[in-house]
Amino acid sequence: MVLDVKSLVDADAGLISRRIFIEDDIYQAELERIFARCWLFLCHETQIPEPGDFITTYMGEDSVLVMRDSSGKIGAFLNVCTHRGNRLCRADNGNASSFTCAYHGWTFGNNGDLQGVPNLQDAYYNDLDRSEWGLFPVAQLDTYKGLVFATFDKNAPPLVDYLGEMAWYLDSFFDRREGGVEVIGGVHRWIIPCNWKLPAENFGGDAYHVAWNHLSALTSGFTQAPAARQTPGGGTFSPGNGHCILAVGAEDYSSSTTAIIQEYEESIRAETLSRLGPRLEKITPNVGTLFPHMSFLRGSSRSFRVWHPKGPDKIEVISCQFVDKAAPQEVKDSLRVTGLRAFGPSGVLEQDDMDNWEECTRINRGAVTRRYSLNYQMGLGHDRFDEELGAWASDFKLSDSNPRYFYQRWASLMQAESWDQV
Amino acid sequence: MNDGTQREVEQFLYREARLLDSRRFTEWLELFSEDVRYWMPTRSNRYPVNSKAISILDASRYEQEEISGEDELAVMEETKDTLERRVARLDTGMAWAEDPPSRTRHLITNIEVEVGDSQDQVRVYSNFVMYRNRGEVDQDFYVGSREDVLRREGGQLRISSRKIILDQNVLLAKNVSNFF
Repeated sequence: MVLDVKSLVDADAGLISRRIFIEDDIYQAELERIFARCWLFLCHETQIPEPGDFITTYMGEDSVLVMRDSSGKIGAFLNVCTHRGNRLCRADNGNASSFTCAYHGWTFGNNGDLQGVPNLQDAYYNDLDRSEWGLFPVAQLDTYKGLVFATFDKNAPPLVDYLGEMAWYLDSFFDRREGGVEVIGGVHRWIIPCNWKLPAENFGGDAYHVAWNHLSALTSGFTQAPAARQTPGGGTFSPGNGHCILAVGAEDYSSSTTAIIQEYEESIRAETLSRLGPRLEKITPNVGTLFPHMSFLRGSSRSFRVWHPKGPDKIEVISCQFVDKAAPQEVKDSLRVTGLRAFGPSGVLEQDDMDNWEECTRINRGAVTRRYSLNYQMGLGHDRFDEELGAWASDFKLSDSNPRYFYQRWASLMQAESWDQV
Repeated sequence: MNDGTQREVEQFLYREARLLDSRRFTEWLELFSEDVRYWMPTRSNRYPVNSKAISILDASRYEQEEISGEDELAVMEETKDTLERRVARLDTGMAWAEDPPSRTRHLITNIEVEVGDSQDQVRVYSNFVMYRNRGEVDQDFYVGSREDVLRREGGQLRISSRKIILDQNVLLAKNVSNFF
């Protein structure tokens, strides 16, 4: 299929076609050209700390089994039996030395090797080369500051290049203190009937919606949302490769609804400044999206989540909360409860987002409605490359600058036959 | 449990359901004690220790329940204050998840009343089906159980603890904007 991508994304004019949020042929191309190609986030290392620990997740629509083998090495494989294609692992997480398929009993080690085949001698006459029928591995796997990523494309650039300048912005969430972060036990998983790009772009810098969409949460004391304040600090930042960051002012570094978290942030300020450097004296990165679909925030909730696509009009969110490993337990507890009340399936901020994303998807299905482009013109021509911050920065705190870079990257990948052309 | 207490508890829970379905949330809040813990944990899929589908490396790691722990991430972990603020939010006219409002129906069954930890308390188990319909075609079924502690305060029963076990792994609703 040849997609006329230029007719879908005109970043220079700030116009994006509604079709990219609803049409199945575009979605199928995304599965190949975005999700089978990009580095995708799998989990945090603290979710699989011990040999044998495993977790199941998705890369695009592909079910993936991420495990630490008995020697401690992390691997990721398609979660399917290589024999008849049955789902291999049925659990969300656990600890195992091997997995046996429920259908015919083929057994795979936690390093992906095919260890056991029933009736190998009598029925296969020992002709089956087990070394050829291990689990299908991802093409590349790498970690950055405890974050585990993989790609299905052996030609994808190294993770460090894929992240580029985004690496520092990740540090500002996940490596603020010695020891980095850890994930709180328990996971939020839920279904939203919306296109995956809507939450990705929202977390990628939509400060505009905060003051209106979330006003009810602001006035009932669930968030301080400095992004909604009419103060000059902060803005949207595009460090390249489609990655997006929304920052609030440097002075808002300790913003929280609870005194215990505010005091904690103040108490670690010197440490975070010394670890992260002078950029942190200019901005406080607050929310972001790592292209294509991993988002994270550290304002009202310390959460990272992946918007797993399940069709053009459906996603499954897998969301976790993280805390600085070195934080006192009472701070971790406070972050947990204030976080889940703000973000997650019952979160009073996220509830309203989800309702709006659903309608932004569903209502555009009409043949005539989808002819009209969406408006991404806010701040067009009013951003510049900030050498100090290593990112394209909006002149004003509210801007569509980030989604314009996001969709430019999306269009580039959708057009490219290979990574060389991206 | 004597019939009088059983019937009193049943009527209490039915009235609570009616208040919720009538969106009389302020009156609903009065049914909770000031120190209430309102908790809906998450559920996960785990292999049981005796599963033949895996060879367990470290069996001690399978002692965890498939229900998230007290110190783990929950769908809701509320106090009286945050329940009140959730209700206050609905009154702002800008709680979009409930604008237009949900049409809900709470069906409460399997009510068992046991003696509580003290004279003034009873422990109550119940099952629920909560149907939610909203807008044109939004529809969610929530099925699960609750474990409540009801305490008598000045002659009135109050819910001093509620644990809500929803029978879903991946939540199938786009948001949990209702109460259980």
